[in-house]
Amino acid sequence: MPIPEPHRLSAVEMAGHVEAGSLSAEAVVQSCLERIREREPVVRAWAHVAGDEALAAARASSPGSLMKGVPFGIKDIFDTADMPTGYGSPIYTGCRPAFQASAATLPRAAGGVLLGKTVTTEFANRHPGPTANPHDPGFTPGGSSSGSAAAVADFMVPLATGTQTGGSVIRPAAYCGVVGFKPSFNMFAPAGMHPNTETLDTIGIMARSVADIALFRAAMMAIPYDKPAMPERAPRLALCRTPHWDKAAPDGQAVLEDAANRLRAAGAEIVEAELPNACGNVSEVQNRHSYFEAPRNHAPERHRHEAQLSPALRHGRIEGGKKLTLDEFRAAWREADHMRAAAQDWAGNFDAILTLPAPGQAPRSLASTGDAIFNGLWTVLYMPCLTLPAGKGPDGLPVGVQLVGKRHADARLLDIGLWVESRLGAK
Amino acid sequence: MGGSNQLSAADAVSRLSSGALTAEALTRDCLDRMAERASVKAWTNLDPDHALAQARAADRAGRPGLLAGLPIGVKDVIDTFDMPTQHGSSIYKGNRPFADAACVALTRMAGGTILGKTVTTEFANRFPGATVHPHNPGHTPGGSSSGSAAGVADFQVPLGFGTQTGGSTIRPAAFCGVVGYKPSFGEFSRVGIKLQCQNLDTLGLICRNLDDIALMRAVLIEMPHRTIDRAAGAPRIGVCRTPLWDVADGVTHALIEGTAGRLSAAGAAVVEVEFAAPFRDIAAYHQRVFYYEAAHNYAYEHIEHRDQVSQVLLDTVLDPGAAIPLADYIEALEVAEAFRAHLDDLFREVDVLLTPSAPGEAPEGLGSTGNSAFNSTWTLSWAPCVTLPAGTGPKGLPLGVQLVGPRFADEKLLDAAAWVEAKLN
Repeated sequence: MPIPEPHRLSAVEMAGHVEAGSLSAEAVVQSCLERIREREPVVRAWAHVAGDEALAAARASSPGSLMKGVPFGIKDIFDTADMPTGYGSPIYTGCRPAFQASAATLPRAAGGVLLGKTVTTEFANRHPGPTANPHDPGFTPGGSSSGSAAAVADFMVPLATGTQTGGSVIRPAAYCGVVGFKPSFNMFAPAGMHPNTETLDTIGIMARSVADIALFRAAMMAIPYDKPAMPERAPRLALCRTPHWDKAAPDGQAVLEDAANRLRAAGAEIVEAELPNACGNVSEVQNRHSYFEAPRNHAPERHRHEAQLSPALRHGRIEGGKKLTLDEFRAAWREADHMRAAAQDWAGNFDAILTLPAPGQAPRSLASTGDAIFNGLWTVLYMPCLTLPAGKGPDGLPVGVQLVGKRHADARLLDIGLWVESRLGAK
Repeated sequence: MGGSNQLSAADAVSRLSSGALTAEALTRDCLDRMAERASVKAWTNLDPDHALAQARAADRAGRPGLLAGLPIGVKDVIDTFDMPTQHGSSIYKGNRPFADAACVALTRMAGGTILGKTVTTEFANRFPGATVHPHNPGHTPGGSSSGSAAGVADFQVPLGFGTQTGGSTIRPAAFCGVVGYKPSFGEFSRVGIKLQCQNLDTLGLICRNLDDIALMRAVLIEMPHRTIDRAAGAPRIGVCRTPLWDVADGVTHALIEGTAGRLSAAGAAVVEVEFAAPFRDIAAYHQRVFYYEAAHNYAYEHIEHRDQVSQVLLDTVLDPGAAIPLADYIEALEVAEAFRAHLDDLFREVDVLLTPSAPGEAPEGLGSTGNSAFNSTWTLSWAPCVTLPAGTGPKGLPLGVQLVGPRFADEKLLDAAAWVEAKLN
């Protein structure tokens, strides 16, 4: 019996069908390409789609591999030797690197098929690309990993990579209603990722289920694939409203409270907890890092193409970063070290932290990708983060919750995520 | 004229700025020296016309900026939009990046010019390039920043960029008898430098004068030029033999002990410093981070171009690195963090550590660029390091001593290094 709409399957289901012979990898890729053809004029998630190459790769893929020809997309902030690489900037029109990022090479080596490059904001910063929220094109998909979140949410591809310096994986995943995972800092090899802020840039991934995240994570790290294991007992979760609770919208607050109540009813122990006092300044530390690095990291563009940088970047982080002193940057690093140590001790009291991934549903605008206020702190703390869809906002757009784990306990966070996903029942 | 290639970067810049020297004349002197000494093989894909064109453009513009038309050498793992960037590998033959690396752009923005690309080992790792030691062509110049060290030592260029993941800036600088500097991790942007290890790679400088380091720091961090304070007084010095002391030869043992004695006699408070017991094996943790990250960051070359990767890199780094379990890598990251905190404690008692730059003179032969036993620990520590020339060994080749400062106290390290340098001479 033919399988209708293979593009709607999860990555694990796709791989299962390929292994069982009930679907070919080519049919999966073909289905995703058809979905892209149908929806791309509205969603505009892709900077480049390599359809013919992807079909050829699917035909050549090995059913014995981990990913079995399952397609994935990568954010156009990663270098690819066989596709254009634009970093979301007109400066890089026509750029074709000689190198291929590890975020493309390792999933390909695991049998994944690279479908193309997804839209990024300018240099994974603030100035948005053309992507719209697939649930309503009048709303932002979030950013900077805009195309990856929208493409996964819209069933164009089951898996995609992003990068997070402030909130660029977790926030768009939440706005688009998918699962987003930012691992502990530096867990995915960064070679070939165009840096935004070297101290913070973290490669992350998006999918439509926790199980798919685990599969893609194994491919990204070239590690053995262990399915996430359902915890034997209900977890102990810290309900953390963060120092920025007053910046959350009523819908964001309501979905978090509701999720906490549902998880408590399902057996979880929910304890109210706030970050240690040592972390009070964490969001400001994140800004100081990013601002200081921006003028130095963007020196090549400032030198030869300044007029093609967006005013937002030029007058924001680049000009702002020039005003910071070296001692302020050094102090930010020292403070961040101190905060990480304090947060690690604190996080050990819980199985995971339950918090907001964004202030609420996606804003109604394509001019801004939204506020990273609920993300930057966890990025600085280098802790693994997972966002799961958990409810709807006033306009019917998705609203998520975020789980945060102890640094370097990423697999454990996915186990807890599997439990929370099953109890929240949102797909 | 002629001979301006012998000037340090800082001295050349003051003449360029005052008009006593043109960028074209300086560049010509460097190019003449290179042509005369082509047997050192410090450069790759050199284009003298392009170097001169940049120099003339600087002269026409009035030699602005902190660098005022100064030519520098750029290790060929660092991207340049106007010159090939080949990473010491046939995989990248003819590769012309779309953009400059940040350090190259910052150099140009400060009025500097790019004389050319210097030879690197394959991917800044083990397999050597063609460069020979400028004092004796039968010996290695060290690596991986082989061409920058040899070119600077041979007066072909006043200053070169290096990178260090193990010992790739400090060791070749010491072998070639020049000054090498690895800054605190995180201070110099790495954008456009081929990434080997995210937790280790550090852009460094090779030059003939400590003042050149202070100048280039201002350029690369875009900060006001803070010159070295030569009145800062005697530093408190910790002699650090490291757990790998036995890897150094007797000449190096005598050099470090003799230097400690001279500095003490000159007024420095000198004490012995040892790593605490949990860190006796710290170099092994460096190696684990190094191999794991190199294997994952070089996945494209390792997996898709394996036949063009040297056997030594496959056998000793990439294949073993890809086999390291994630849990072992994470353990090494956590030990490294604890080691950094331990060093912070050690630096409460001393201002700088005195330690070998290398096990001895540059080894004979060109098959290996030497041992990074006295570098890798400091790379993992993220602390700033300087190597200073310190006489010659039994074969007449240079020796160096290394000074290590607390992280983010690079200015004080340079002040201390200037004090030590004055007492060495």
